Amino acid sequence: MNTTSIRSTALLLALAVLAVGGTVLWHQLTAQRITDAEQQLKTQRWLSVLPEQHYDNQPLQHPLRLGAAPLDHSRLLAGYLATLQGQPRAVVLHSQAQGYGGPLDLLIAIDDSGRLIGVKVLQQQETPGLGGKLVEPGNTWLQGFVGSSRHTIADTAWALKRDSGQFDQLAGATVTSRAVIQATHDALRYFDEHRQQLLTGGANE
Amino acid sequence: MNRQWLAAISLAPLLGATQTLAQASAIALLSLLIIGLHRLCMTPLHKVLDASASLIASVLLAALLVTCLELALRAWALPLSLALGPYSALIAVQCLVFEFAQGASGRWRTAAATLGGFALLCMAMGLFRQGLGEFANLRLASLLPGALILLGLMLALYNRVCRRPAPTRRQGKR
Repeated sequence: MNTTSIRSTALLLALAVLAVGGTVLWHQLTAQRITDAEQQLKTQRWLSVLPEQHYDNQPLQHPLRLGAAPLDHSRLLAGYLATLQGQPRAVVLHSQAQGYGGPLDLLIAIDDSGRLIGVKVLQQQETPGLGGKLVEPGNTWLQGFVGSSRHTIADTAWALKRDSGQFDQLAGATVTSRAVIQATHDALRYFDEHRQQLLTGGANE
Repeated sequence: MNRQWLAAISLAPLLGATQTLAQASAIALLSLLIIGLHRLCMTPLHKVLDASASLIASVLLAALLVTCLELALRAWALPLSLALGPYSALIAVQCLVFEFAQGASGRWRTAAATLGGFALLCMAMGLFRQGLGEFANLRLASLLPGALILLGLMLALYNRVCRRPAPTRRQGKR
């Protein structure tokens, strides 16, 4: 009886050492690979907002220094510069607005003439089926903004039709739609106001 | 009582990780793999360890297997790992409950039948939910409540088709 319990304890100890050792070893082996995979996934997600013909650099390696000036309805968390053959061609702004269910993180790509070339939702907590339609595959509402700028659409028209603007809204998701439009407008205005600094990589800040 | 526990624990991945067929197949196959490995390692250990020690050994082994699985998923299949969320880690609990529901007697045939049934059910759920969500445009099917309703419907269908009707006198006085 006694020898059985001693044998049990010894076996358990050996198993515990094996389990901890195995886990640590496996973690060591995969750590580098996990970092790479996370980096790759992030790059892939973030750069999907930029049309491919607009850049040939690694925009995420060129972060912009953004001024601390607060925007009206959103705030900018980060910005990146995309260059083509050494010439600055576009910026990608990471903007956070207040949605219906929580913060709404948007990626907004603007080309060097102040024209919007892409909008993408990075993170959202909107109601599934209403505001959540934003991120459903096949939803083209966000694509409706692409190509517009503050030169083609007056500042007062950057609003929902019910706010006497000119954009349609997502059905049943007024708050979400309004947040997206205001954040996009904020970002375009920020770009126009700080165009020189942004396109030279924030060197003048 | 243990079989009910097993059913309750299996409900979590069955409802939570079956939005698409690919995701459902992944969770089904990973569960099969981990539970199978766990059982394979525990069978010899049961013979040499007493009851309380084999419980501890079982927990240790489940933790080891699931941690390695999580790390491997994140290293080589990060999108899948994000889609599965916590459900891949929950396989550890499934391992333990499965072991105690089956008992230590080690009947591989019943174990394989239970696991196979679980995997098939997972894949059927994934197929129906993806199909209803994408082709019939029924959004409810891809949400959790929809999954529960769908599971209930499948259970009802199974009872209607495969089971003999229960004798009426068991339902009380008529």
